[in-house]
Amino acid sequence: MSKKPTAQPALHKVIMVGSGGVGKSALTLQFMYDEFVEDYEPTKADSYRKKILLDGEDVQIDILDTAGQEDYAAIRDNYFRSGEGFLCIFSITEDESFQATQEFREQILRVKNDENIPFLLVGNKSDLEDRRKVSFQEASERAKQWGVPYVETSAKTREHVDKVFYDLMREIRARKMEENKTNNGRGKDKSKKKKLKCTIL
Amino acid sequence: MDFDSPDVMKDFPGLYASELNKQCNNDSDYSDENEKAMKKDLIGKRKEKKDKDKGYAALEGESSADENFKSRSPSKTKKAKSFKFSTKTKEKRDKSREKEKDGDKKKDRDKKNDKKLDKEKGKNEKTKKLKQSLDETADIGDILPIFGASIEVAVERSRCHDGVDIPLPVRECIDYVETIGISFESVYKISGTKSKVLQIRKMYNQRGNINLSDYDTPTITSLLKTYLRDLPEPVFTNDLLIRFEEAGAILNLNTREKHLKILVDNLPPYNKLLLAWLITHLHNVSLNEKFNKMSKQNLSTALNHTFHCSSRLLHALLHHCPALFPNTRIERYVPPLESGAKLPEHPVEIDRELKKQESLLTQIHKEMNVCCISKQREELLWEVQRIITQLKRKLKSANKDKEVVEKVEVVEEKEEVKEESQEPSDTHQKKQNLSSVPECQCEDISPVDIEECDVNTESVLDNTLALLQLKNDGLHSLRDSLLKDIQEERNQILMLKSQLTPEMPPVMMIPNENLDEVMDLFLKENQILQIKKINLVRQIIEEQEMCIELKAQIISKS
Ligand SMILES: Nc1nc2c(ncn2[C@@H]2O[C@H](COP(=O)(O)OP(=O)(O)OP(=O)(O)O)[C@@H](O)[C@H]2O)c(=O)[nH]1
Ligand SMILES: [Mg+2]
Repeated sequence: MSKKPTAQPALHKVIMVGSGGVGKSALTLQFMYDEFVEDYEPTKADSYRKKILLDGEDVQIDILDTAGQEDYAAIRDNYFRSGEGFLCIFSITEDESFQATQEFREQILRVKNDENIPFLLVGNKSDLEDRRKVSFQEASERAKQWGVPYVETSAKTREHVDKVFYDLMREIRARKMEENKTNNGRGKDKSKKKKLKCTIL
Repeated sequence: MDFDSPDVMKDFPGLYASELNKQCNNDSDYSDENEKAMKKDLIGKRKEKKDKDKGYAALEGESSADENFKSRSPSKTKKAKSFKFSTKTKEKRDKSREKEKDGDKKKDRDKKNDKKLDKEKGKNEKTKKLKQSLDETADIGDILPIFGASIEVAVERSRCHDGVDIPLPVRECIDYVETIGISFESVYKISGTKSKVLQIRKMYNQRGNINLSDYDTPTITSLLKTYLRDLPEPVFTNDLLIRFEEAGAILNLNTREKHLKILVDNLPPYNKLLLAWLITHLHNVSLNEKFNKMSKQNLSTALNHTFHCSSRLLHALLHHCPALFPNTRIERYVPPLESGAKLPEHPVEIDRELKKQESLLTQIHKEMNVCCISKQREELLWEVQRIITQLKRKLKSANKDKEVVEKVEVVEEKEEVKEESQEPSDTHQKKQNLSSVPECQCEDISPVDIEECDVNTESVLDNTLALLQLKNDGLHSLRDSLLKDIQEERNQILMLKSQLTPEMPPVMMIPNENLDEVMDLFLKENQILQIKKINLVRQIIEEQEMCIELKAQIISKS
């Protein structure tokens, strides 16, 4: 990554995690290409980059779509530490996938060692209301307990798809700004890549 | 064998830790020392076990050359160094690291180390702990060097991602000389700047981006020589070197060629391939003698030390090169595309590129499993993953457009043959194969029969075509099943390795002479069996090929 200031737009690295079949790839593809695929094809790992306008600022988003299937867990773990924000997805039609979010959360905290890592809890497949197994209430409570936002999405209808990605990027951006400030204040340590243009105080 | 696979690291954390400390002690020469000591310690294998009954019926007995080679073999002269940790050298190293990468990056790394503390609570506690301890003291160039590693390990660590299994630095040096240095006068004779050579070596070890065209020919040839000299054993292997020398000394050209050919074919696959490329390349160089003044003779005397052999042997290999390595073509290496490059459009090309990228991705993942990789490398991981995703999408949309009806038929046909040759070594199975032949026959041949009544010549052509097709299919499925076997055996090796480890340390600690003797005996016996096995396997394969041919003939005749 270039350390030179300006030139390149800020790059935010987002990682999709969650059990197999909850719709991580579906959400990613909907966000990237406005497409929805009915067939389920388990992912090993996929990565995408998109240029977007975030509150008037040109930024790039790198999305890493990981495997829910445990077979590929080892590969998944290698990516975690370079992720700057996480979308933790479950399907509202499957309680097991909701329970699994707990473990994903713990694993991420372990790797990042950071309670405030940008993170959203996402209940997907909201279009399948009639098959709902996880109540909004229940999920919100868990999110509250973790101190993260909870959003329900549908990769099929595109409901809240942009929202989860944009909200997460805002958190990442805010986080980076904060880090830059503490850097300037203390002059040392906590060095993270300075992707944002430093504003003159 | 791969002694450095993550599993081994996991199982011998102590061993590797001491290796690391040692590295700090002798900065300059870490790579080959490291590898060698590791090997010795791990198997307790003593190089003196140059055994006399190798099982080469074709060759005469031992010559007196034995002693010479013992002393020449690089691994012998090295003395064990004490495993003491020296803070001074560590500081030095840190400083030099700081110089290369800027300050920010180093802080990043330190920070990451902190995080690692928590990570190790995870499942693979052992590896994680190891990872962490490694992070503090060394970078990848120290832990997983390419120069000084055995050929197989070097290939694993530094692949050519197009499937040619020779170490990348060698390939790139050869490419360089073939394109830029081929008419350079006294190429391979004139040495390059030592500091530059060491610098490039370091960059390769650290998986940096290297552009060889920034350097001059002598530097590149010296680099290649350094690689060969750093090898823990000659490319001919310690075990076969003497046989090679004997064969190289045979006066009768035909006999010499025959014997060399047998020996070359008995080399481990990675050694054989590397030798094939090197000799073919040097042969090419000698063909340009007019410009570069390097005849076969000159090359042999310039390079025999590098190859750890006599110039006579080298000369013999160059002389017989076309016969020894008829299928070796020097192909210029095209590395995996970088992001921003235009991706291929044709499905076949997409597929080829995809394989390269996946090979690269696997390699990065492997590095990550062992130690902390650089920020650039991490960046590359995402990038490669992105290209793979793009290529897969392209391939998918390309495939959607294409008609697949034809393919399905072929696949079905292949499947049949595959099932038959599933267990090639099983004789019962073979009988079954033969008895099952008539079944396929009726389906495959009936259309030909009808045609036969109409046009005679055409049917003959069709027949040979069908025969070839059948043979081809048979060989394909044989290849598939062999590949499967290889994979299975690899898994088995891994499994056995992990089983083996808990018992190893006590064995090594007992200073029992008897045990050593027994060990030696077993090692020797093992080697003999190994060679017998290789020969048997070759026989089996040959018979299998015969079977396929016969089967195809039977089918097409009836
Ligand atoms: N109705 C509905 N179906 C969805 C939605 N999101 C995903 N699906 C379907 O759920 C299945 C699995 O979706 P994927 O996106 O492949 O699941 P994944 O999380 O990527 O699974 P892994 O790659 O194995 O981890 C597919 O058949 C999708 O069509 C949604 O919002 N609504
Ligand atoms: Mg997926």
